[in-house]
Amino acid sequence: MNIEDLEKEKNEGIENLPLQERRKFLQMGLVVTGVFLGGSVLSLTSTSHASDQSNQDRDIPAEGQYPYPKHYGMVMRQNRCVDCEKCVEACKQTNHVPDAHGAYRTAIQERLTTENGAEKREFRPVLCNHCNRPPCVRVCPTKATYKDPQTGIVVMDYAKCIGCKTCMAACPYNARYFNHEKYAIDKCNFCIDTRLAEGKTETACAAACPARVRIFGDLKDKSTEIYRLLHTPDTKIWVLRPDTGALPNVFYMNA
Amino acid sequence: MMQKKIKTIGAVLLAGSFFLATHSIAATAYDEGTYGPEAPITWDKPTKVTFSHKVHTMDSGLACDACHDGLFTMESGAILATGKMTMAAMAEGKFCGSCHDGNTAFATNTKCASCHKDVKELTPKDPIVWTNPAKAVVFYHKAHTEGLGLECDACHDSTFAMQKGAAGKAGNFTMQALYEGKYCGKCHDGSTAFASNTRCNTCHIGVKGYNRMMGNDGAHGATHKDTKAGH
Repeated sequence: MNIEDLEKEKNEGIENLPLQERRKFLQMGLVVTGVFLGGSVLSLTSTSHASDQSNQDRDIPAEGQYPYPKHYGMVMRQNRCVDCEKCVEACKQTNHVPDAHGAYRTAIQERLTTENGAEKREFRPVLCNHCNRPPCVRVCPTKATYKDPQTGIVVMDYAKCIGCKTCMAACPYNARYFNHEKYAIDKCNFCIDTRLAEGKTETACAAACPARVRIFGDLKDKSTEIYRLLHTPDTKIWVLRPDTGALPNVFYMNA
Repeated sequence: MMQKKIKTIGAVLLAGSFFLATHSIAATAYDEGTYGPEAPITWDKPTKVTFSHKVHTMDSGLACDACHDGLFTMESGAILATGKMTMAAMAEGKFCGSCHDGNTAFATNTKCASCHKDVKELTPKDPIVWTNPAKAVVFYHKAHTEGLGLECDACHDSTFAMQKGAAGKAGNFTMQALYEGKYCGKCHDGSTAFASNTRCNTCHIGVKGYNRMMGNDGAHGATHKDTKAGH
């Protein structure tokens, strides 16, 4: 491809660039222009995500920044998880996840540490984060995976998928697997076809959880529990791998 | 000096009076001809067990022929030699089990310490693991008995039946029950021991912990390590 051809290409724009890329570019600019000004200028790049209302990259979107009519997300009250894996079982049953090749739509991660000589366990439920800027969607060559315009859920069009697995490599959360039965990539879709379409208000995993770890709902709707949890002052909320700039919609807290 | 002397004399008098009282009652009340051997019968094999004739005859009013020779031959050690006197046999209504069925007398799968005086010897060494209603919860006898000095009757049989898996089968072995002071919640209430709604993963070992304990590590499902490793 030569320069003339490149010039005819449509500009991709910067809206969909990951935060990391933008930050890199910004920092490079700062290094070039403001190297003598030192930390005071560089510190401008580390504004708090959670508190700055004008920041487009906030972990929890500000009012008026929800791009979808319904904006589904999930809160994980992580310290309540006991790894009973009823969520995993329910998900497998509901969404026909094959019991082979380590396939999963949701899983529980475990961290074992030792504290004062005693074994300490921590469990963390994981699933697709249904990112606002999903790297998997960006890399898909056939547009087989996309953000559902009604709900913001990252969904699959199995017929379009060619099984190239680029999305699997791009996903920062390892939330995708190759389904040998569908012969396509498969992933969590917040049970959009298996439960939400039938009018159920919860995903299979959230409904199965005996400890109410998983709170599923519309982030935009002020009457939902998820909205209340995410907007409780002084609650420490975090997301996984915020550095990727994917803006995930699965939030973690200890509550 | 004077005070000490008085104390000593007092102690001696007190001890003497107790001795006389107990001795005279025993001497007048217990008749070996009617009630059987006075000394408790003890067995060392297969485990340490004790049996008191007095409790059954004098206290409960049973006649000799209630047990002899239909259930037990009178010859010392004869029953044991057959090797048939097991807890399993009693559960089927043989030997002690013919009365100790939970109806006529307490069942043989309860009140272990009544006969097994050295019950600590029988305390399970391996951790107890429940998989019902949630997989999986672990309990260590050792930490509670040796570690905290609790006696068996602190939990058995008022809070937990001794039968394996009984709590899990009961259908109400839930966190809600614990918060209401049942099962572990009897002590784990935040004052006697840490509250049941804190430190979840002290007892909950999860499916992964269960698989490790049962020796099928690396089964399906993702651990932290293999979810990061990719496919």
